[in-house]
Amino acid sequence: MTPVNIVLGVIGFDCHSVGNKILEAFFSEAGFKVTNLGVMVSQEEFINAAIETDARAIMVSSLYGHGEIDCAGLREKCIEKGLEDIILYVGGNLVVGKTPFAEVEAKFLKMGYDRVFGPDCDLAKVVELLKNDLDTRQKGND
Amino acid sequence: MIEDGIICIDIGSTWTKAAMFNLSHDRFSVKSRAVVATTTSHLPDGVYAALHQLQPEYDWHSIGPAPVPLRFSSSAKGGLNVAVVGLVPEMTLHIARLAAFSAGARICAAYPYRLTRSCIAAIEQAHPDILLLCGGTDGGNERYVTENARAIASSAFNGTIVYAGNNQAVDQVRDLLGERDLRITENLMPDFGRLNIEPVRETIRQVFLERIVAGKGLDELVRRFDTQPLPTPLAVLNLVEAIGNNVPGWERFALIDMGGATTDFYSFCEAYNPDSGTVLKGIVEPRIKRTVEGDLGMRVSAAAAFDTAKDFLLQSLEDSQNGYADMQSYVDRLSANTSYLPVDLAEQQYDRLLAAACLQHALVRHAGTIEEVMTTKGPVMAQTGKDLRHVNRMIGSGGFLAAMGRAGDILELQSPKPAESEKLHLLPENFEYYADTEYVLPLLGCLASEFPRQSAASAVQYLTRMHHNEQVKEFSHREFTHA
Repeated sequence: MTPVNIVLGVIGFDCHSVGNKILEAFFSEAGFKVTNLGVMVSQEEFINAAIETDARAIMVSSLYGHGEIDCAGLREKCIEKGLEDIILYVGGNLVVGKTPFAEVEAKFLKMGYDRVFGPDCDLAKVVELLKNDLDTRQKGND
Repeated sequence: MIEDGIICIDIGSTWTKAAMFNLSHDRFSVKSRAVVATTTSHLPDGVYAALHQLQPEYDWHSIGPAPVPLRFSSSAKGGLNVAVVGLVPEMTLHIARLAAFSAGARICAAYPYRLTRSCIAAIEQAHPDILLLCGGTDGGNERYVTENARAIASSAFNGTIVYAGNNQAVDQVRDLLGERDLRITENLMPDFGRLNIEPVRETIRQVFLERIVAGKGLDELVRRFDTQPLPTPLAVLNLVEAIGNNVPGWERFALIDMGGATTDFYSFCEAYNPDSGTVLKGIVEPRIKRTVEGDLGMRVSAAAAFDTAKDFLLQSLEDSQNGYADMQSYVDRLSANTSYLPVDLAEQQYDRLLAAACLQHALVRHAGTIEEVMTTKGPVMAQTGKDLRHVNRMIGSGGFLAAMGRAGDILELQSPKPAESEKLHLLPENFEYYADTEYVLPLLGCLASEFPRQSAASAVQYLTRMHHNEQVKEFSHREFTHA
């Protein structure tokens, strides 16, 4: 079976690169074909990479607290560019301060992200969820 | 056989230039030269006339073997026209343009995403020699290339189609376009951001040989002299590569070839320094890069260049009364008569300004940009495109730059004013200027892949180092023959 393509990167003017490398290794190990755009990735770059590679999911990281402003509008841009079915995950230190995670999650779900993760999530769990979501989306299209 | 010399011929759209070279002590030296008007109806006539000038004692029309080996390049009849069809403009479409340019082609049209009916109509209208179809990484997007192949299949376009897209879509593309002249080659972006342009270049070169050579009489020369022609820009590109790889001190340089219709810019240097702490956005551009500007030229494209460079020209002419309006009417005269030559000092000055404008715009478009962005870790520099800051030598070639008096003026004028955005153009910061006053570059280019070391060393030796405010000798084709 051909591996599923996913796009990975740290959004905005965020240059935290360590977690990004770990995610790349982890998702590759789990059998995905990962296009890692690295740090300081714009929404347009995520979308361009997803179009060329026919990615089925975009995994957005944000570590520096400006996640809300950087991530807003990505879903709408994806739709504009013909990526209606793409899965969007976002994770990291998404907001500054001590906002309860449930509030943060609700905010990003409302922006159109399919799943939202905090900084200390279990990556094995993320992979499992992603595989399930891909299957569900696939069935929805068949 | 090479001991007796070798003849190189460049068949241009106006002039057919030739030179006999001797090879000794690892250097080619010009033994004799010839130049004749290109005979567009039957190219070999001009070539034979040039050969006769070089070696009158030999009967070139006889069928016997030529006394010395012969190599030739051609850009006659506008060269090789390519339409490129890619997916994302900044990604596969951009890479397709780089690949086509580096194969020595001209790009007559470029389309991203899906080919609409009007795109197809425009392609049919332009009837390029080659349609380069690409898009998607290997295993990536198949939908667009397949749909575009289907659109092309139902069009009246009957040129060659080169496919260099997603390798998973090859079967569909072959099913759809198998009836056409279809060449399938490796994906020019097999993984996201990774360039693979060599196979496309080679395929385009092959198509040039088959399609362009036939019908213009070039096939006659191929049979007669048992050698394959190169597109002239590819000969120059090969020479640029040979110089950069072989001549000490020329590891980072650029060459600008300014013609009547286009301005070609070649650079040889690393595009991006990963140790600089600068973040790169987009692809790492190739070490050897060629771009062609169809709206920048000294005669056929003079009006377009005048328009493009309006701000620069207004600024340069602000001290002279009526300068801009006078230059406008000079450009009108050029458009009406593309073989017009300046008759007085004012017109010479307009030619120099036009050349400076073409140089400046070609340079800015070829080079990348850099901008400072603030992050939580402090300011970070973000680069897009190719960094030419460390280019320390620049060669001017082509009739205008080679012959232009007072090359220093152009250098002084070319420093561009700060752009309106915060982005800084990555232009050469400090360079020496050389001119191809002897007109040898395209000719030596014919030898660059066979004799890279020797042709490169010779090319550099024939260049003339220019200093600011130095008067360059006036050049004429008559002089070329008698040099």
